Amino acid sequence: MNDPTETRFERRALAAEGPVAIALLVTSAIAALVIVRAPADVVQGVLYKILFVHAPAAFAAYLGFVLTAAGGALYLWKNDEQWDRLAVAAAEVGLLFCTLNIVTGPIWAKAAWGKAWVWDPRLVMTALLWLVYLAYGLLRSFSEEGPRAARFAAVYGIAGVLLIPLNYFAIDLFGGRALHPENLERQSLGVGIGQPFLAGTIATLVAFLYLLLVRFEVQGLRVRVERARLDEASGEAS
Amino acid sequence: MNILRAVLAKDLLSEWRSRDRLPAMLVFALLTVVVLRFAQPGGSLGGDPAQAPGLLWVAYVFAAVLGMNRAFALELENDALAGLALAPVDRGWIFLGKAASNLLLLVVAQITTAVFFSVLFGVDLAGVALPFLGIAFLGAVGLTAAGTLFAGISVRTRYREVMLPLLLFPLLVPLLVGAVQATAGLLADGRADPGALQLLCVYDAVFLIASFLLFEYVLDE
Repeated sequence: MNDPTETRFERRALAAEGPVAIALLVTSAIAALVIVRAPADVVQGVLYKILFVHAPAAFAAYLGFVLTAAGGALYLWKNDEQWDRLAVAAAEVGLLFCTLNIVTGPIWAKAAWGKAWVWDPRLVMTALLWLVYLAYGLLRSFSEEGPRAARFAAVYGIAGVLLIPLNYFAIDLFGGRALHPENLERQSLGVGIGQPFLAGTIATLVAFLYLLLVRFEVQGLRVRVERARLDEASGEAS
Repeated sequence: MNILRAVLAKDLLSEWRSRDRLPAMLVFALLTVVVLRFAQPGGSLGGDPAQAPGLLWVAYVFAAVLGMNRAFALELENDALAGLALAPVDRGWIFLGKAASNLLLLVVAQITTAVFFSVLFGVDLAGVALPFLGIAFLGAVGLTAAGTLFAGISVRTRYREVMLPLLLFPLLVPLLVGAVQATAGLLADGRADPGALQLLCVYDAVFLIASFLLFEYVLDE
């Protein structure tokens, strides 16, 4: 079972999968309980509870994109394949949570604002990032697997993160109206909402971590299968 | 600096001998302008002046993508790209040389298109020619800084011509917002919004520096 090409980082990630899975079960059960028991809003009823998924999904998405760039930068610097696997995993899982965020937003907005899509800065920015990481995925699937594809993806992932502050200023200039609360600290959350919000955030981040670990492992397996196949093919040829 | 000049001279010379990129860019930009003119609601004279700056920049982006795709497609023939990569020089300067030749061709295409555009859309660009040229140049620098880097990537993927716009367009949004706002301000009351110019300059600086550093890994054979 022991693969000599496995790095220490990979072994630790594999070993963490079990405990993280248990943590995921526990935290999501707690979050479900706390969120169900949270009081209904006077105006919105239970509708507002989508916030406990919507906002944490955005945190997870941004975390994923930052990890993609960090993994890419580490790969270019150290030339160690495991960082590229981390970048792939983070980009895909980040895109998943970004999609969740973009889907839950309009569901709520349609009912609360009366419009599913508004030119709000944070909304537009997330939508633009979503497109960037969609392109990242296309770039990966359109280039031959190997160090070159990894380098290209790393370059694109880094450029994608550079875009975040630029987009921020651009959308400000474009004149979008800010409809999102400026910060999500305790003051801007209503009474009794802090706890479910925290529970939702923890559960979502643990889910992010679990999916990241699994995707990281799958990428490692995929690379090894590909390599074994190549070895076999070259063995037959000689 | 010598490397920049050498790559620039090489690109311009091959363009002068073949004369295929610039004419293609020019014709494509003009066609885009014509199509955009007819994509607007009817009227015998001019289009909607509020939309003019945005439409003009759409034509510029299309022309730029067309030109930059060719820039590296040419290098693939006879493995010229591998030759460039083997040159014992800092690849950042090779990038700047490539970007400079792309920039030069784009600016020529921009000026020609602007003349045509101002006639078709009934927009007076002659009165603000110099400041307009400045905005067009700032926009072109950002376009070629980001575009040259990703053209180097897209040319070595499957579906290369398709890949460049897919990679580039999501990254161009801040540049387009800055360029269109600045142009709109200039056409409306003769002066560009300083915030828009600032955004353009910051975008140019960020992508020039990032591409200069990252091109090393794009050209790595």
